[in-house]
Amino acid sequence: MAVLKVKKATVYAHQTVTEDIVAELQRLSNCEVLSLEQQGSDARKEQIARRTKEIEDSSADARFLLRFFEPYYEDGRGVLERLLSDKPPVTLKELEDLLRKTDINEIVEQARKIERRLVELRATLSYLDAKQSILETLEGFPYDLSLISQGTKNITSIFGNIPTEQTERLKLAFENASGDRGELFFGFAGEKAAQVPVVMIFDKSVSADVVEAASSVTLSRVDFPKDLEGTVEDAKKLVVEERKKLLEEETNLKERAKGLSAQWVPTIQRLFDYHEILRKRYEALLQGQTTREVSIIKLWVPENVLETFKNTLKRYEDLIEVALEDPDPAAGDDPPTMLENPKWALPFEPLTRLYGLPPYGGMDPTVPMAPFMFVFLGMCLGDGGYGIVLSMLILWLSSRYKITGDKRNFFNLLFLGSVSTIFFGAITGSWLGDMIDAFGSLAFLRSLKNSVVLLQPMENPLNFLGISLALGVIQVIFGLFLALWENLRKGNYIAAFGDQGGWIALITGLLIFGGFSAGFLGQAAGFAGKVLSLFGVVLLVTTQGREKSGIVSKALSGILSLYNITSYLGDVLSYSRLLALGLATSAVAMIINTLTGLVVGIPYVGVVLAVIIFLGGHVFSIAVNTLGAFIHSLRLQYVEFFSKFYSGGGRAFEPLAYDTKYVQVLTAEAENTP
Amino acid sequence: MELLGIMLAVLGAALAAGFAGSGSAIGVGIAGEAGAGVMTEDPGKFGLVLLLQALPGTQGIYGLLTAFFAILKVGIIGGEPVSVNVWQGLGVMFACLPIAIAGYYSGIAQGKTSAACIQLISKRPEETGKAVILPAMVETYAVLALLMSIILLNSISF
Repeated sequence: MAVLKVKKATVYAHQTVTEDIVAELQRLSNCEVLSLEQQGSDARKEQIARRTKEIEDSSADARFLLRFFEPYYEDGRGVLERLLSDKPPVTLKELEDLLRKTDINEIVEQARKIERRLVELRATLSYLDAKQSILETLEGFPYDLSLISQGTKNITSIFGNIPTEQTERLKLAFENASGDRGELFFGFAGEKAAQVPVVMIFDKSVSADVVEAASSVTLSRVDFPKDLEGTVEDAKKLVVEERKKLLEEETNLKERAKGLSAQWVPTIQRLFDYHEILRKRYEALLQGQTTREVSIIKLWVPENVLETFKNTLKRYEDLIEVALEDPDPAAGDDPPTMLENPKWALPFEPLTRLYGLPPYGGMDPTVPMAPFMFVFLGMCLGDGGYGIVLSMLILWLSSRYKITGDKRNFFNLLFLGSVSTIFFGAITGSWLGDMIDAFGSLAFLRSLKNSVVLLQPMENPLNFLGISLALGVIQVIFGLFLALWENLRKGNYIAAFGDQGGWIALITGLLIFGGFSAGFLGQAAGFAGKVLSLFGVVLLVTTQGREKSGIVSKALSGILSLYNITSYLGDVLSYSRLLALGLATSAVAMIINTLTGLVVGIPYVGVVLAVIIFLGGHVFSIAVNTLGAFIHSLRLQYVEFFSKFYSGGGRAFEPLAYDTKYVQVLTAEAENTP
Repeated sequence: MELLGIMLAVLGAALAAGFAGSGSAIGVGIAGEAGAGVMTEDPGKFGLVLLLQALPGTQGIYGLLTAFFAILKVGIIGGEPVSVNVWQGLGVMFACLPIAIAGYYSGIAQGKTSAACIQLISKRPEETGKAVILPAMVETYAVLALLMSIILLNSISF
């Protein structure tokens, strides 16, 4: 339960080996590079920056390819597998070889070609669509279409749309303008169309008059496709044929893209990751300072890897100098936080990270929180049957997929929760609610079930409520003790005894006195309780105003601070949710069982309905109640418990490492190939 | 008069399921609107959005739960019919009120909080944990109301 100590190390390295050293540090994955103040630029810096730029360009190529291939790529893994499985393992050397072997430019070239052609095809297809819709409206046009699209030496045309109600007006105007030297053709756009397509064919000698006539109606001219010719029927056939050809080509191109993606995507993903690794590496170099001969890199190195760190750099002994800053991080530094916990508490560590890491040198709340979280999860879910289903599900998923990292921790947490749930389900006699009592066929299990029942929250919720609140008192006081200890450690004695000691004395005193009043404890205990709580009150009144000036305001804030007792009361009452959620789970399960029992009597479909309600209901109930149990247990930790002693505010340790998206780089392997 | 007693209990159950359910419906609706907005930008956030949208849904379940408890108590479903006088019926009805009232208002309030948290994860998906906790703070009061309803129902004897 601790925050790992870190040391600040400064590496002075000769330029010839800086890149190797940074690569080694990245392989170690255990050192965080500090950003140093940059003093101008020099040739060396520029060289690194140039290299970074090159890497970023290649990375952009890989990103383009991944984006382009993404819709075509299927990696043949199910959703669950993709979510849970590890990334495929590779070694750095494999990645290097892959980069050497692969001509990414050629793939980019091919992909771009396909992309370009696809865009062209799509444009052409939409042009064909436009053509087709024009042809549809010109059904029955008596002449060759080239008359409209190209005209002849003497004949020209106007094509466009006019509002349906203006057809008569246009007819008159056109006849007047062209006499017998023109012809008007109306297309057909549909029964209720507001616009009618119209073709005016006329001798060039009357064109001025016709244009004038056309302007008497609201004509919107449409460009007639230049390549349309022959009869409407023929042209339509041509369009259909062409479309078919283009669609075929499109399908072929997509097939090709699919083929290419199947062939190359894994490779490109690896290359992308490799470029990311390189980019990180050069970024780290840019963070340091350079002189003509030497690079200076500052690092945070956790104490437990200090030996490995030194050994790794031993190889370059003659060309580098490593200085460790002593003693520990200075005041102005911002050292990162790394948690170190015993194995049993690891599943709970992500919860601490979720809230916010402790500051460097602060207390890690994971271990104090873990047992409470474990118990609360069980109490909130509180059904043995659900616990068994959940644990089986986790075991099945774990055996099927290789789960690591934080996902592993989360699964372990859920598993622990389900174990605790089985326990609480057993002592409250809840197995899928009242299933064992509700169904006659399970009667043989009743005596077994009843033999371990200690509490019956359904019949007597107050007992369970008492236990919930007692747990609350324990956790709140435990939190206060942790704060007290932390204050003592830091030497804040007044805060330790005043803030926490006062409250601990007051609360325990009141509890003992309450126990006496209720008749559980004897006279002597009652007296002790009184004294203890009075002592607590005195401590609080005298210390809580210590930051004020003047005796009156000191006393006043001291007395007012006693009002905070309500917040402790509220905190403890909040633990009643342990009962409420546990009850809710059992009750929902019971209702599902009752409904199942009700429908089973319906003739013919009864059994089917019963199975659907039973299975569906319980699956839903497990999902909803597990979510609720998790969130509310977590809330008790964050709001009621952490608020007593913990505030987070630390900065996560971000080591220079192989941060990859698609593959997982095996560091152990790489060690053998220096 | 016995019938009136039972009917009062039925009214209580109806209030619990109806109001708590309405609160959840409005809350889930509010969160859903925000969720749809976020997903127009990034449909990949469906899972997270759905999780947050579901949070204000629990009040409806609590209301349903209390309603079932109430009608089980007076023997309308499952079990023998019980004789309920008017006062006992009134008692059952009153016992249903905490979750009916708190369920309605907390469902809406939690929906608004969920909507805000959906906005939060749209910008910072890594903070999902915190985004789930904030709506849960609101739910506390629905849980407390449920607790009170159950304890009250439990303490009415026939």
